[in-house]
Amino acid sequence: MRIGTMFKDILKSFFTKSSTQLYPVERVAPPERYRGILSYNPSVCTGCTLCVKDCPSDAIELVILDRAAKQYVMKYRMDRCIYCGQCVVNCKPKGIGMSNQEWEHAALDQNFMVYYGKEQDIAKYLEDSAKSPIAETES
Amino acid sequence: MNIEQNLQKAEQILAPWNKETTHPELNRLDASLAAENLRPAVTALHAARWGYLSAITGLDLGAESGQMEALYHFCSGPAITTLRVRLPRTGEATLPTIEDIIPPATFFERELHEMLGFKIAGAKSNDRLFISDDWPEDVYPLREDFNIEQATPVEGRHADETPEVGMVGENKFVIPIGPQHPALKEPGHFEFTVDGEVVTGARMRLGYAHRGIEKAAESRNWIQNLYLFERICGICSHTHAYAYSLGVEKLAQVEVPARAQAIRELVAGLERIHSHLLWLGVTAHEAGFDTLFMYSWRDRETVMNLLEQLTGNRVNYSANLLGGVKADVGPEQAKAIKEGLNFLETRIRHYLEVVTTDTMFLNRTRGIGTISYEEAEEFGLLGPTARASGLLRDVRVEAPYGAYHQFPISGVTETNGDLEARCVVRLKELLVSCFALRTILDNLPEGPLTVRMPRKVPAGETVSRVEAPRGELFYYIKSNGGEHPARVHIRTPSLCNWVSVLEKAVGRQLADVPMLIAGMDPCFSCNDRLVTTVGRTGERQTWSWKQLRQHGIEYYKR
Repeated sequence: MRIGTMFKDILKSFFTKSSTQLYPVERVAPPERYRGILSYNPSVCTGCTLCVKDCPSDAIELVILDRAAKQYVMKYRMDRCIYCGQCVVNCKPKGIGMSNQEWEHAALDQNFMVYYGKEQDIAKYLEDSAKSPIAETES
Repeated sequence: MNIEQNLQKAEQILAPWNKETTHPELNRLDASLAAENLRPAVTALHAARWGYLSAITGLDLGAESGQMEALYHFCSGPAITTLRVRLPRTGEATLPTIEDIIPPATFFERELHEMLGFKIAGAKSNDRLFISDDWPEDVYPLREDFNIEQATPVEGRHADETPEVGMVGENKFVIPIGPQHPALKEPGHFEFTVDGEVVTGARMRLGYAHRGIEKAAESRNWIQNLYLFERICGICSHTHAYAYSLGVEKLAQVEVPARAQAIRELVAGLERIHSHLLWLGVTAHEAGFDTLFMYSWRDRETVMNLLEQLTGNRVNYSANLLGGVKADVGPEQAKAIKEGLNFLETRIRHYLEVVTTDTMFLNRTRGIGTISYEEAEEFGLLGPTARASGLLRDVRVEAPYGAYHQFPISGVTETNGDLEARCVVRLKELLVSCFALRTILDNLPEGPLTVRMPRKVPAGETVSRVEAPRGELFYYIKSNGGEHPARVHIRTPSLCNWVSVLEKAVGRQLADVPMLIAGMDPCFSCNDRLVTTVGRTGERQTWSWKQLRQHGIEYYKR
């Protein structure tokens, strides 16, 4: 039995750099496998919707405008996503990925819906859904 | 004695009351009993010291069969004996209590009563333990015909009712601790009756963080559930996913590749290091030794970073898939893990020295909350809490699963059974873990990471047990052959270890109570996983952001 068993650690700390990372001034690169925001590539998508079926939090929805012309729009709700990466595993043609660079999601508004797809497809989808009153009720 | 003989012995013990014997899976024996024969059968098993009561699962077999079933799982090493009692669904489904024979059964029985509506004849207390106070009578959330409309909160039966607190008699004062309390960071409510500074009685109430996960699991598919269960607990999230995937793979008769199994054990080992270091910090903090708290948590960052590097996340790693793992261990990760382990091992040895020599800390731990071997067995303790009393309850050693056949672990036990022994057991376990992790990294089997998993799991039921950092984690999974599980029952280690606090607080100083609670490493979110308080249709949760914000503004205007 003795006292001050951790004095050595404390003394040592006087002469070493603090362990606390001073984010956001000091930025540490996220690891390669970090699961950040979703990415989607419509040109390889086959429209199998396996990603949607297995999503544990209903974060993604795939709108198939025209399967033959590969016109897909993916609606992604960042706020629902739990970043588990199951959709990335399910996607056989590797059309879904998760970025390890974009991970700072804090925002001032609550508009977390992201549309993925070719630009003209998204425009078409938004136009169509604006016409029909049932769609787009959720925000 | 091998497993077969052990099961035969159980069958012989149960023979006088047994109506029908079945073998639903390997190393398991099911015996059907009548409700009135339950007590003699349990007494006989208990008297013959055949295993310990691991969990009681309640099943609602549906309106068609008109029956409910209670499954009493006894585990002895890898052998499991299940006593099945069937009762009619309608009317009084009465089970005799076994809490006087096996004390921890009281929590399991309470669960049966509150979730499924079994009546427990002879139970000492009928207070609600898990379910909220304003939940209506005779509405049981795990019944098949349960409808969220039925769950409207009952006025007058409210949790805010003032409990018996303060001076309640001569020389008797009740001190409430929690659900929100500075000495207890998680939501649990305790009422300690004190005479001066000495605790003379203890009561507890859980369920402040119920999320209805078992019920929610029934409406999600097998894969979605993997992530749901991972979120039961933030600290042992991997073990939950591990136990669940082991069970589902057993049901689907899928053999997971050796490399995937080894990686699962690797993540489990790293998780154990982070969990025990976190616990060490919390305990040190409760003891007023904040230096140890700060430094152990600083070192814990090392293992958190390793986990992040390996799996892609710090907390809910999502390393598992049904039929394998997501993350491979490449040379880069292996090198990082080895370096991290070297650092951690020196630190753990240092902490081991601190907790066994520091005078101040020893004053708070040595000889406090001592649990003898016999008591540990009687209370049904699990994990490090039991191992500190010399009772080797470790599923990894007793009933190896997954990669633990190939990379066995040596069980660590201490004999003193006090808080100091619990510190020592946990830290020594970390050294064992470090050693095992290095062995795995050096001998990682080659091969694929995943195998194909069917979307529909064949009908059947299985028990899957995994050693979480806090003790044995128990999963009972039942499938009807569909895309969703029919029932998943989870018994977490914390639930069994509560008895150690309630029994040991009596007679101690009140100041020791926080240390006693911290000493068993309670995990409230693991405990409170069962019930939905108010669902999506309920009034309280349909508040929009705007309304909530408005409410907040109005509230603070007053």
